Amino acid sequence: MKIGAFEELVLLAVGSLGENAYGVAVKELLADKTGKIPSIGALHSALYRLEDKGCLLSSEGGATSERGGRRKKFYLLTAAGRNTLVEVNRLRIEFSKNIEGLNLSLDES
Amino acid sequence: MNPQANLTPPKIPLKFLRWFCNDNLIEDVEGDLSELFNARRNQNQAWARLLFTVDVLLLFRPGIVRNFQFALRLIKYAMLRNYFKIAIRNSFRHKGYALLNLLGLVVGIASSILILLWVDNEVGMDKFHVNGDKIYQVFRNMKQSNGVVTTTGTVPKPLGDLVMAEYPEVSEVARISWPVDLNIGIAEDVAEEEGRFASKNFLSLFSFQLVAGDKNNALNELNSILISQTVAGKYFGDNWENALSHSLRVDDQYDVIVTGVFEDIGDNSTLDFDFILSTQAFFNLNEWVNDWGNGSFYTFLSIDDSEKARIVGSRIFNEINDHTEGNSNAGDETVILHKFEDTYLHSNFDNGVVSGGRIDYVNIMTVVAIFLLVVACINFMNLTTAQSNKRAKEIGLRKVMGAQKRAISTQFFFEAFLFTTIAVLLSVLVVMLVLPAFNNLVDKSLFIDFTELKTWYFLGGVTVVMGFLSGTYPAILLPAFNLIESSKGGIKQPAFTAYLRKGLVIFQFAISTLLIIGTSVIYKQIDYILTKDLGIDKENLVAVRMEGDLSKRLETYKTELSRIPEITAVSAASGNPINYGRSTSSASWEGKDPTEGYEVKVILSDEDFIETMGMEMLSGRSFSKQLTDSTNFIINEAASKLIGFDDPLEKDLSFWGIDGKIIGVVKNFNSSDLYEPIAPLIITCVDPSRSSIALIRIEGNIGEALIAIEEVTQKLNPGADFDYQFIDQAYADIYENELTVSALATIFAVISILISCLGLLGLASYSAEQRSREIGVRKVHGASVSQILILLSKDYSRLMILAFVLAVPFGYYLTQNWLDNFEFRTALDPFLFILAGVITFVIGVLTVAAKSYQAATVNPVNSLKHE
Repeated sequence: MKIGAFEELVLLAVGSLGENAYGVAVKELLADKTGKIPSIGALHSALYRLEDKGCLLSSEGGATSERGGRRKKFYLLTAAGRNTLVEVNRLRIEFSKNIEGLNLSLDES
Repeated sequence: MNPQANLTPPKIPLKFLRWFCNDNLIEDVEGDLSELFNARRNQNQAWARLLFTVDVLLLFRPGIVRNFQFALRLIKYAMLRNYFKIAIRNSFRHKGYALLNLLGLVVGIASSILILLWVDNEVGMDKFHVNGDKIYQVFRNMKQSNGVVTTTGTVPKPLGDLVMAEYPEVSEVARISWPVDLNIGIAEDVAEEEGRFASKNFLSLFSFQLVAGDKNNALNELNSILISQTVAGKYFGDNWENALSHSLRVDDQYDVIVTGVFEDIGDNSTLDFDFILSTQAFFNLNEWVNDWGNGSFYTFLSIDDSEKARIVGSRIFNEINDHTEGNSNAGDETVILHKFEDTYLHSNFDNGVVSGGRIDYVNIMTVVAIFLLVVACINFMNLTTAQSNKRAKEIGLRKVMGAQKRAISTQFFFEAFLFTTIAVLLSVLVVMLVLPAFNNLVDKSLFIDFTELKTWYFLGGVTVVMGFLSGTYPAILLPAFNLIESSKGGIKQPAFTAYLRKGLVIFQFAISTLLIIGTSVIYKQIDYILTKDLGIDKENLVAVRMEGDLSKRLETYKTELSRIPEITAVSAASGNPINYGRSTSSASWEGKDPTEGYEVKVILSDEDFIETMGMEMLSGRSFSKQLTDSTNFIINEAASKLIGFDDPLEKDLSFWGIDGKIIGVVKNFNSSDLYEPIAPLIITCVDPSRSSIALIRIEGNIGEALIAIEEVTQKLNPGADFDYQFIDQAYADIYENELTVSALATIFAVISILISCLGLLGLASYSAEQRSREIGVRKVHGASVSQILILLSKDYSRLMILAFVLAVPFGYYLTQNWLDNFEFRTALDPFLFILAGVITFVIGVLTVAAKSYQAATVNPVNSLKHE
C-alpha cells in the first residue's frame, strides 16, 4: 500500500498514542515531535484517507461540553496499518545501508 | 458584544462548516475545532475566533466537503469561469470605461470607509465601561437672566450625599473632579501632571484597569494616590509593583503614598488623568463644598435600570431648590440626569434640555458616507447600461446557444459582484495608504481592525449591497433584449432607460451641489466666528499661567513685565475672559426680586483689566489706581439689563459678602462660545492676588517679547513651567470640532463631485459615440464645431440646472437648521447657493464639453465612411 510522507507521520502518531488517538491529541503530538503545527484541515483529511485505505479503524467516544457537545472520534492502528509502517521502515533501512555513514538500523536507534 | 457570545465559536464560520462538511465527519471535525477554540480562548479571544475561522477555511477541501450533486456543480463552475473570462476580456477591450468604473467605485467606497471609521470612533467614546449602561451623570441647570438656562456638570456635594443616603434606587455615588495640574515627584525630581480627585468607588463604577494595587481599597486613605503607567515608569521603572507604597510629594506641600498604578487612559475615554487623589482629602481642605449653593465635583450615579433612573430623575429634579429655600443668595437650580455614555455625543444643552452636540456631526458625516456610496453606485449602473449596447451581440449569441434569461441575469450579477469585490479590495488598500494623513487631519489614531467581525460585516455588506444595486438594473434590462435585433448588433434601448439614466445623473449632481452648499455655509459660519468682533481685542494678547504663589507677588510681576519694551499693558484675571465659567448666584442689588435666583459670572481682576483687554466702556469709568476701587464693580450690558436700572452707575451691588457700587458698564463681550448668548457678568478688582493668569498685550516683535516674558516669569518663579497661550489661538481651539468637520466636508464634497464627473464623462463619451454619424452628417452640411458642442452639451446642461433646483430647498433647510444651533450666526447668503450651483454646473459642463469637443472635431469622413 502506498502512503504519503504526512500520512506516514499521522499513522505513527496514532500508533504511539494507542487508545487516546483523536484529532486534537494527534495534532498536539505532531506539533510536539516535528516542531511544525499541522493545519487541522490537512490533519483531518489525512485521517479520513487513512481510514479509507484501511490503515486506521475509528470508534466514537463520549461527548464533553468543552467540545461543544460533539463526540470524540478515536482512531486505532489496524494490522494493515502496522504492516504498512513496517514496509516503509524496511525500505528506509535498506536504503540507508547503502549510504556510507548512515547505518540506520532498528536496534541502534 | 456580551461576554456570553465570546464563549462559543464565531457563528458564521460554524454555520459554513456545518453546511459544507460531510455528515459522517462533522461530529469529529467540529468537536476538535471546539476543543481547540476553548483552549485558545483562554489566551486571547479575538485571536481564537480568527484562528477558528482560518481553520474552517482550511477544512474546505476535497475529502471533507460533502458530496454535492457533482454534475450540477460542474456546469455552474464552467459557466462561472466563462462569465469571469468574458468580464475580464470586456474590461480590457474597453479599458477607459472599466477604469472610470473602478475609479468611481474605489474613490466612493474608500471615502465612505474613512468616514465610517471616524464615525465608529466617535460613537465608541466612553463605551468601554463594563457597567456603562448603568452610569448616569448628574447635571445642574442654572437659570440665568431672561429665562436662559445654562447647564453644568459641577454639582453641590451635599446633593450626592443626600442621594446616597435617601435614594434606594441608587446603588453607588461616585465623584470625580475637573482636571487639576499639580507638581508631583520625589525630592527635586518634580514634574507637572494633570490628574483628578476621585471618590473611593470611582474605580469600581468605571472600568479603568489597575496593573498594580487593589481596586477595592486603593483610594481608602486620605493620602492615597494612584498613578498612570507613564508616571510610574518615570519614577519607579517598568515593574509596576515596585511603585506601590512609595511616597510622592505633591506641590511641595504634602506627601502621598502610591496605592495603585492604572493603565494609561486611552483615546476612547473622555475622562482622562495621570493621577488620582482622594476626593475626601480635597473636601477636608475646602469647606465651601459643603454648601448647597456651590457646585463642586462631577457626580455619577449607578442605577440598575432605566425605569429606576426615571424615578430618580423625577425625584431629584427639585432637590437643590428644596434645600436652598429661604436662602436669599440661592439661584433657581434644577437637577437632571444624563446617561454617561451619551454625554460625549450629546453634550449641548439648550435651556436645560439635551439638544445634540457632536452627534450632529456624526450624523452629517454618516449621511455624507451614504451619499458617496450612492453616487458611486449610480455611476456603475449608468456606465453598465450605457455600455450594454456593445454587449448586444454577445447576449444574442448566448440566447441562440440556448441561454435562458436567468443565465444572462446571473452573468450580469456576477460581473457586478466581481467589480465591487475588486473595488472593495482596492479601497481597503487605498484607505490603508491614506489613513496616516487622514488621522493627522482629524487628530485621531484610526485603523482598520481586521480582528473585529464588524469590519468584515461592513466590507461584505458593501460588496453585496453595491453589487446588488448596480447589478440589478442591467441584469433585468439586458436579458429582455429582442433576440433578432440584438444578434444583428443594433438595439434600441427602451426610452425609459435614457430617462432613468438622466434621472440618476440629476440625483448625483443634486447631492454634489448639496454637499458644496453645506460646505460653504460651514465655512462662512466658521469665518464669521473667527473674525467676529468679540468686544475684546484678541490679537497679540498672551495669557500666562501664574504658577505657585506668583499671583501673591502680582505687583512685582507686573512691574517687571512692563519694563519689556514690546509690552504695552499687563493685567491679571481669574481666567481666560473669552471662555469663562466662574459664576455666583449670590449677587443682589436694590430691587432684586428675592424669589428669583440668577447666576451671574464673576471675573476677578485688577485695575488694568479693561484697558489691557481692549474693551469699550459704554458709560461710567474703568477702575482706577488713584481711587480705591477695590469694592467697586464694572458690569456688562447684559448685567445692566438684568439689574434693570435706567442708570446703573453708583447703584449698590453685593455678592460674596462684598458690598460695593457699580462704577461703569462695559460693552458686551463674548465670555463663552458662540453657541451661547452673552451672560450677565461682574468684573471686580477686590483681590487681584486671586488671579490665575496674567494677560499681556504685546506690540512689535512677539518672539522677543515671549522670550523676555519667560525670563521674567522664571526669575520670579524658578522651577515652574512657563505655560502660555495666545488668546486668539485659544479661541480658535474652542471650534476645533467645527474646523475638523469643515475640512472633512470640503474634502468629501470635492470627492463627490469628482465621482459624479467620472460618471458624466463616461455618459458623455457614450452619447458622443452614439451620435457620431449624426455629427458627421451635420458637419458635412456645414455645422461648425461650436454648434455641435452646444448641441451635445445642451442635454446635460439641462440636467445640471434641474439638479440645482432640486438641491436648493434641501440645502436651505439643512444649513438653516445647523446655523440655528448658534446664538451668534452668519446669515444664509443666496450668493452661496448660486456659487454652489455655478461650480457644479461649470465643472459638469466642462466635463461634457471636453468629451464633445473630441467628437466634434473628428473628420466626418471617418465617421461616415462605413455607410
